[in-house]
Amino acid sequence: MADESVEKGEETAGADAPKAGETEPESAVSTADPGVGPAEKTESGEAGATPEAAETGPAGGDAIPARVIQPDVRFVRDVINAGGSDLKKCYQCATCSVACNITPDDTPFPRKEMQWAQWGLKEKLTGSPDIWLCHQCNDCTAQCPRDAKPGTVMQAIAKMTIANYSISSIAKAVGSAKTFVLMALLPVIIIMAAIGIQGHFSNVPRGGNGAIVYSEFMNVYRAIDPIFTIFFVIAAVLLILGGRRYWNDMLRNHVSEGGAAPEKGFFGNLWPTVTEFLAHKRFRKCDETRDRANSHLLVFYAFVGLLLTTAWAGLYMDVIHRESPFPMYDPIKILANISAAAGIIGITMVLIYKFTHAGKIGRGSYYDWWLIGTIYVLLLTGIGSELLREANTAVFAYPVYSLHLMTVLFLFIYAPFSKMAHMVYRMVALVFARATGRDLGVE
Amino acid sequence: MTVDKKIGVYICTDCGIGGALDTEALDNVAKNEYKADIVRRAPFLCSQEGTQQIKDDINNEGVNTIVVAACSARVNTDMFDFDPARYVTERVNLREHVVWTQSPAPVAVPEEAEKTAEEKAGEGEAAAESAPDTGGEAEMETEAQEEAPAEAAAPEEATAPAEAGPVVDENTQEMAEDHLRMGIVRAKASDPAEPQIEEINKTILVIGGGPTGLSSALEAANAGYEVVLIEKEAELGGWAKKMYRLLPDKAPFQESKKPDIESRIGAAMSHDKIRVITGGAIEKTAGEPGKYQVTVNSNGGAETLTIGAIVLAIGWKPYNANRLEHLGYGKFKNVVTNVEMEQIAAEGNGTVARPSDGKQATSVAFLQCAGQRDPEHLPYCSSVCCLTSLKQALYVTESNPEAAAYIVYKDMRTPGLYEEFYKAAQDNPGVMLTKGEVTSITEDESGNIILEIDNTILGEKVMVVADMLVLATGMVTNTIPAHIEGVTDLTPEYVGQWRETETVDGVIKEVIADPIVLNLAYRQGPELPYLKYGFPDSHFVCFPYETRRTGIYAAGTVRHPMTAMQSTNDGAGAALKAIQCLELAAQGMSVHPRAGDQSFPEINFTNCTQCRRCTVECPFGVLDEDEKGTPKTNTFRCRRCGTCMGACPQRIISFKNYSVEMIASQMKAIKVPEEDSKPRIIALICENDAYPALDIAGLNRLKISPFYRFITMRCLGGTNLVWIADALSAGIEGFLLIGCRFDDDYQCHFIKGSKAANERLGKVQETLGRLMLEAERVTQVELPLNEWDKLPGIMEEFAEKLKEFGPNPFKGF
Repeated sequence: MADESVEKGEETAGADAPKAGETEPESAVSTADPGVGPAEKTESGEAGATPEAAETGPAGGDAIPARVIQPDVRFVRDVINAGGSDLKKCYQCATCSVACNITPDDTPFPRKEMQWAQWGLKEKLTGSPDIWLCHQCNDCTAQCPRDAKPGTVMQAIAKMTIANYSISSIAKAVGSAKTFVLMALLPVIIIMAAIGIQGHFSNVPRGGNGAIVYSEFMNVYRAIDPIFTIFFVIAAVLLILGGRRYWNDMLRNHVSEGGAAPEKGFFGNLWPTVTEFLAHKRFRKCDETRDRANSHLLVFYAFVGLLLTTAWAGLYMDVIHRESPFPMYDPIKILANISAAAGIIGITMVLIYKFTHAGKIGRGSYYDWWLIGTIYVLLLTGIGSELLREANTAVFAYPVYSLHLMTVLFLFIYAPFSKMAHMVYRMVALVFARATGRDLGVE
Repeated sequence: MTVDKKIGVYICTDCGIGGALDTEALDNVAKNEYKADIVRRAPFLCSQEGTQQIKDDINNEGVNTIVVAACSARVNTDMFDFDPARYVTERVNLREHVVWTQSPAPVAVPEEAEKTAEEKAGEGEAAAESAPDTGGEAEMETEAQEEAPAEAAAPEEATAPAEAGPVVDENTQEMAEDHLRMGIVRAKASDPAEPQIEEINKTILVIGGGPTGLSSALEAANAGYEVVLIEKEAELGGWAKKMYRLLPDKAPFQESKKPDIESRIGAAMSHDKIRVITGGAIEKTAGEPGKYQVTVNSNGGAETLTIGAIVLAIGWKPYNANRLEHLGYGKFKNVVTNVEMEQIAAEGNGTVARPSDGKQATSVAFLQCAGQRDPEHLPYCSSVCCLTSLKQALYVTESNPEAAAYIVYKDMRTPGLYEEFYKAAQDNPGVMLTKGEVTSITEDESGNIILEIDNTILGEKVMVVADMLVLATGMVTNTIPAHIEGVTDLTPEYVGQWRETETVDGVIKEVIADPIVLNLAYRQGPELPYLKYGFPDSHFVCFPYETRRTGIYAAGTVRHPMTAMQSTNDGAGAALKAIQCLELAAQGMSVHPRAGDQSFPEINFTNCTQCRRCTVECPFGVLDEDEKGTPKTNTFRCRRCGTCMGACPQRIISFKNYSVEMIASQMKAIKVPEEDSKPRIIALICENDAYPALDIAGLNRLKISPFYRFITMRCLGGTNLVWIADALSAGIEGFLLIGCRFDDDYQCHFIKGSKAANERLGKVQETLGRLMLEAERVTQVELPLNEWDKLPGIMEEFAEKLKEFGPNPFKGF
């Protein structure tokens, strides 16, 4: 018995030791159990850290001072209004954290997020990597005994971080169904204006043989490139700035909690994170919504494919001056079509899963549907444009193409404010988690 | 008793009795040894025909003493129900206690029977020594026995082996014969009850005019009883009237409600059966149920009322917060108790203005379990403070939507349907809850309270700044006088002074209680004795309203902390208990747990030595005494446990159907064989728990040593030491006293009976020493009913121990 307990004690100390050594070198010894002192010292390898030094050193171990918290009722209301309406039901049983397969072992979510949100602790939540480490499996929601829907609350908080790191008034408008028409008006007006300025409302240009040539309708150099480049750059800048602020907030919280600044930083950890992400391993850890991994993967690769296609088309047109439309056998066309097909299959799967999962985890919020709908319309109009062009039915082809452009623009403009921004924040959170060793073992 | 005894012995041969026993031999015991006038064996004695035979014998043959040797006295009570005022009925439990606890009857082939017996034993003790495969026939026999329903076993099943001529186990037969002997002896020594029937007063006095008292008064009055409702304050209503809001009392239990006590006050004031005395106090309560003389002092005048029963609804007081300085109370202006918070809300009509500057509070912290669940203060949970804090948190948030209430708890406890209230309050965005330990409470320069909280579920040690802090202090029963600071260091049973009394029998040390409310003119003190923390009760689970003074029923927060709704229900319950007491008393009957018993203790004063043991040991303060110490009975206070009978060294206290001599003669009736292989052990079994435990053991066919002889006690408190010396010198190997748990978590139906027996056993050492016998030959065990399965093991162990001691040297003398 005695042997066993000693062994156990050492095991615990051993598990703690590297962490203590990593995060707070001076206090490593003072926090250690005196009974296992020698083992501790050799393991942590802090030569100069004698007990005396530790005593005079900065706050370590038990002496961590209490943090002043400022509960904010308004923030609680905001989370409730952002979709976390069952937030207050949580009674902290932690079933959610146990149910979650992708939570770090040491700082599990979403229990603590539920509590922080109930207390309106905005700083803790917006600067927490865990908000975005959550992949919306909703295993927690399915198992919550009080139906507090932790998954939904996490999403509501995520939505609020998007607002927090972008321009919150726009983000709030994007997140509300009431302002959809107003929001949609901007891309519609821009595209209509572009068509109008080119005079293509009355005089729709045709290519040789009277074929439909979209680049004649919307000039690539004078219309498409300027408009889309401007909004793409704006979106990219906003997203990068948002991601940066998020990173800094996380870092600040991490350090104030006694963590050490990561050695390699964002870029040093980006590549392994991306490669991990490409396989969507985390999605596959979900129990309730495991099938979502494939649908998300398809949509994700579809977007990657379409992005490549766009770059490739630029290469064709600007560098080797090949004019569109490109023939069907051209690799660019093959890639584009495959991507579009993958996208439409993926997003349809998303749609189906939304309904099949609804019983346990709900139908999702407007925020979800905004993105699903936008992607759907984007892909359908894209494929429609191509097919209608091939069918040479100009009367449908041009309006559908116009709608496609509007949708793409819509997505570009609102990417930093909508769920689309998740691509940046989740990636930043994943990189941060890797950099700080937060969720070692999860991947 | 003028009428001669005419004894009828009826032996049932069903339910396995006929199969396991030689009933003809039993017949002979009754006929030859005891000359019973009528002895009959009948199958299925509990049938109409069976009981009709008994009735015919009563009517035609003049049988007045009936011995039913059949099943447990706890079953078929409706069938063997003969007027106790005219006939003595004694039940000999051959079925559960003898046949079913012994090996199944050997059937035709002894070899197989042996196997079956082993199998039985194996099952009973769940032991590894369980028999190997048994023959098909034996197994079937076992199953048949197992499945035999307790009440209505098919006659064929049991009679079949009887016809074949049962091969009877010798030990089982001897056990049955001894039990029959003891039953006949007991019946012979009993007389029919002569109930004491007097004209009694049925007025119910309700003390305390809060929700509990109002409820008791209204319920009793509506049931047709005269009620006197006395309140010490100038008006009725109690705490419920002082609250800003009350907890919900009806579905969906989600919103607090305005106090509606006024309507009940009005109903009580205008009820023609209720007399309300406000500003009143009780100077003296003398007498007994049905005949209390209560002197009431109100507005300067005293009057004496005749009262039947009393409901004690004197409620609670808040724990003295001055002892909570470590939580900032008294040090910081903005630290208040939950009771004070209620006043603040009432004064502000819902808005919460903090005491220091009258500013409307935008953040209020609540500290749960303040001075509670704390060995230094109230060691218990008051069960309402979590609800109260939730209720008050809503005062804060509802009067100001921007305001927040922080509740720091050990555990949220919202019993029963109040869970709905918790859920509803929790849904409010401004109500913030965390588990945690407050490690420091300080004040900043503007009077805000700073709490440092550790071990929170927020995941770290935090500090919150609040405009004010509310301490959720607990409830103290009003049976504890105001001058007593804590409840943990109370002397046992009473608040009062120790007094030592010299008697012929030594010094009696007892607490002389301080008068608080009742001012009882009882020998044992002016108030109700209490258990832990001052709560008066006589058995928390089984008899919630009964106190240790018959006729006085405690209800509401006086007996444990509860909400106004629970108090209201409690008041109704206590009123019904008071009514029950009066109606039973009117028929000369005891209240629980021997409800309906018409016997009562009678004292033969000529031999009394004024040793005061009976007046001291009575768990219910029944006996008063004169200056010399001679006891004076108060029959209506009595619960007929017989503790006085056991206590009396002169053996002068007895009941018509229960006495020291009777049980001594039962013991003498046991045949003690000379062979050392046949020891005889007496088990005194309490009728409340041990008797049914043995029944259940029998029902489950647990094997019990056949050397035990069971004598049923009303309570082990009736154990008289004279029996032990007598029986041991007659060759009985040992005594096993099987009774209820005593002390803190007692289960004794008479509160102190099993403890009194245990204390007396301490004195038996001396006797045993004189007889040169081992002290452990007399052992008491505490057996909760639910541990019936341990009974065979306990008994076996005791029998083994006696075996180790070797045979009683007095055997054969």
